[in-house]
Amino acid sequence: MPISIQLTSADFWAVAPELILVATGLLLVLLDAFAKFSRPSFPYIALAGVVIANFSSHYTPGKFFAGAIEASDLTRFVDLLTLMALALAILGGTALLQRDNKGHGEFFGLLLWSASGLMLMVKGNDLLIVFLGLELMSFGLYVLAAWYRELPEAVEAGMKYFLMGAFSSAFLLFGIATIYGRMGSTQLAKLAELSGTHSPLLDPLLALGLLAVIAALGFKLSLVPFHSWAPDVYQGMTTPAIAFLSTAPKAAAAIVMVRVLQALAPAGLGEPWTPLLAILATISILYGNVVALAQRDLKRMLAYSGIAQMGYAAIGLATFTKDAFEGLLFFLAGYLITNIAAFLAVGVLSNGEKGPHTLADLSGLGKKRPGPAWVLTIAMISLTGLPPTVGFIGKLVVFKAAVDQGLVWLTIVGVFGSLISVGYYLRVVYFLWMKEPGREVNLPEEDVLSGASYLLVMAGMLILGIAPKALLDLARAAASAVSLAALR
Amino acid sequence: MLDSITSLDLLGADILTTLLFLPSLGALLLLAVPAEAKQAIRAMGLLFSGATLLVSAKIALRFDPATPGISGFRVDYPWMESLGIRYQLGIDGFALSLVVLTTLLTFCVLLVAAGQDLQRFKGYVVSFLILETGMLGSLVALDTILFYVFWEVMLVPMYFIIGIWGGKRRIYAAMKFFLFTLVGSLLMFIAILFLAIQHQKTTGILSFSLLDWMNAAKSNAWALTPGMEALVFGAFALAFLVKVPLWPLHTWLPDAHVEAPTGGSVILAGVLLKLGTYGLMRFALPLFPNATMKFTPLIVGLALVGVVYGAWVAAAQKDMKKLVAYSSVSHLALVVLGIFAGNAEAAAGAIYQMIGHGLTTGLLFMLVGVLYDRRHTREMADYGGVARQVPVTTTLFVIATLGSIGLPGLNGFIGEFLILAGVFKVNVVWCAIAATGMILSAIYMLTLIQKVFWGPVTQPVNNGLTDINIWEFLGAMPLVAGIVILGVYPGPVLDLLKPSITFVLEAARLHP
Repeated sequence: MPISIQLTSADFWAVAPELILVATGLLLVLLDAFAKFSRPSFPYIALAGVVIANFSSHYTPGKFFAGAIEASDLTRFVDLLTLMALALAILGGTALLQRDNKGHGEFFGLLLWSASGLMLMVKGNDLLIVFLGLELMSFGLYVLAAWYRELPEAVEAGMKYFLMGAFSSAFLLFGIATIYGRMGSTQLAKLAELSGTHSPLLDPLLALGLLAVIAALGFKLSLVPFHSWAPDVYQGMTTPAIAFLSTAPKAAAAIVMVRVLQALAPAGLGEPWTPLLAILATISILYGNVVALAQRDLKRMLAYSGIAQMGYAAIGLATFTKDAFEGLLFFLAGYLITNIAAFLAVGVLSNGEKGPHTLADLSGLGKKRPGPAWVLTIAMISLTGLPPTVGFIGKLVVFKAAVDQGLVWLTIVGVFGSLISVGYYLRVVYFLWMKEPGREVNLPEEDVLSGASYLLVMAGMLILGIAPKALLDLARAAASAVSLAALR
Repeated sequence: MLDSITSLDLLGADILTTLLFLPSLGALLLLAVPAEAKQAIRAMGLLFSGATLLVSAKIALRFDPATPGISGFRVDYPWMESLGIRYQLGIDGFALSLVVLTTLLTFCVLLVAAGQDLQRFKGYVVSFLILETGMLGSLVALDTILFYVFWEVMLVPMYFIIGIWGGKRRIYAAMKFFLFTLVGSLLMFIAILFLAIQHQKTTGILSFSLLDWMNAAKSNAWALTPGMEALVFGAFALAFLVKVPLWPLHTWLPDAHVEAPTGGSVILAGVLLKLGTYGLMRFALPLFPNATMKFTPLIVGLALVGVVYGAWVAAAQKDMKKLVAYSSVSHLALVVLGIFAGNAEAAAGAIYQMIGHGLTTGLLFMLVGVLYDRRHTREMADYGGVARQVPVTTTLFVIATLGSIGLPGLNGFIGEFLILAGVFKVNVVWCAIAATGMILSAIYMLTLIQKVFWGPVTQPVNNGLTDINIWEFLGAMPLVAGIVILGVYPGPVLDLLKPSITFVLEAARLHP
């Protein structure tokens, strides 16, 4: 069948944010090569690119590039989240990088390219585009993981992330191939049509394919048992990069998982998929929280906390209704702000990117550096899920949808996990405010950019916790882009 | 005149919203004050807690006791519309009495703090102001999620108050307080979600409002099976009974009280414990009448154990603060007994005792704090015969003690008498056991006074003891006044409480 594709400007507008990020990244790399003196302006140029990309994100919903790409309120929501994560990572991370003279153009370039891959992945209506987007996203992050290449930890992080990432990509490709072999298409809309109203997931081959896709995305989400890369990568990766990696790609992976599941089970999940996802959620919540209790390195602690938090996201996946998806989107947005806040504060309240970020170094820093100390405190309260923070509302909406579907036991697992998590989240608060200072910690200078990032994350965590309506409405609009049916 | 002072109904906000967020506004503004400016911090703290006290006084004066249900000064706005969660506030005589107690105690605590030499004073004041918003919110919120939010907002400031300004084992005590409280409340959170979904499935309306739920509970329109009702009641009751705290859930309390700074102990004993009994009467009883009936023997049994156990253990204490803490376990168990006795006298006595205990125990902790600040010990053996050195402290302490043990003419008598009279009607044995606790309370409290204040001075250090200072005196006086007024003139308060009690007991199908 000959394929002729008529491209119009609307097609390009649909991917305008991606194009702008790619171009900005290129510009920065070129500037670094030919005009090194302009380095101090790099964060501003990158930020300008992010802002322009945000304003260019005004496409009309619909299918583009012959149905390979689908733009909707959902993709706009993801664009917004990704650009926010980028902006926060650049604002808060610049001071950390410049301290070690590591603010090269390539750093920003790789970060922007990775983000563009992420946005493309969610826009993909074709599983192959999803795969391409995921690879583009991951390549940038592989390099960024080893950004401090003179440090053995960073090299280990890069190598580990790359090998495990390649492994999971193979799984994803295998899954896509199997689904294609069975259904004869890789387009999500077409798959949903073919699946009709009955669930084809009892077909063993298709089930195998879906299992492979879940495993591959579970790796990106760092759900147990696909989590083993997380602690080492988090520990070795430089703070602004891990702040990005630990948030936006996870949100994208969760959303893609919902889209794939919806395409293959348009009539709703059922046995054995709901129990499978519920079990993934349960073991992630329990394992992540319990192991985090034993951590003394803050980045490792946040890695295990991230595993547990994605367990809560998996409650939303297992519930699999429109309400649950809305809740999941809200939860992911709240998690994104909170976790970036935590990482930025951890980065500042330490001896620098080259040394370990230990809990003990936080001793007594509340008095010395109240700004980042408050950011970290509120982030810990929000991660625990206590009001009046965005973390509470996120858990509220996810749990409410789960209770609605009769998954009360899963929410009880969730609150039990929260109870365990108090042990390590509050320990951070204790070190900051109630312990006498220990050894001298050489803190970086405060600059305007990081000050702005503190204000933004504080406002995000508290205002969205007190007046969440705007974000709830956004999430609701975005969630309706995927038609999920509840199994009753 | 009061109207002109409190016409700061912020930017046209209604009076309950003003009441709730005035302390938080103060906390927010305090963040802009440099930590060294102690005078300014003190003034700001007193200004905002004082203004909140005035607003609550204005509410009390304007409130009409005949208002039916919980509809005084009702506020109702959508908050998270798509989830059916509303910003719904309202007040009745019961909540109002505790609101006034809260604003009064917070103001007094900040007065006392003004005379103390506290490290990191700004953080201390900010913590109390945020705590005040949490406490007041829990008392006036009618939407259950809104209630839950304020309920949890109390946790973090109290954790800081115990953990930063507490004694030697403060970290342990703060963590224990946090975890115990959270275990109960998280299960209550799931129960709230479950009830909202159940309400939606059976009535078609997604609502978290207590008032809607009470309507559903009246005829069991939300079709709770006995098993479900028992589980949900259990989750609510656990959250509240941990806070009370009822034996055997009380173990966090002695630790928290002993380690907390004076102000923390006063608020903890004065208000936070009452929120547990408030929650029982506001939520657990009216929403789950059948389960209440079923669990009454168990809870009454625990309460009786608590009355005697608390008093018995208090009698064995050498540390003054621990003694007062265990006496709280005993007194609050009596309140729980009054609530579950199921008649109007006992319930009125229970609420009266909540207010009275807030005043007497608040004052006792304040005065123990006065002694501790001067001698840095709470052991009774380290004092002895200090009445001559600190006559004013001694006088106040004796008044608080007599109020606490229920001397006629002071507030404790009325509450205890009403509870015992009500319980007597139901079961004579219960009444007899509860009365034992009263007798023991006289023994241990009078022993405390005798050991600390009377007799000859046993330790020469105590000869140099200085008496209460002006700030501490100002902070203690309103409580003394409350103890006396409530003791000799209980009529207005009892009239105020009457409609609320009828309302609760009718909803719980316990005919008053």
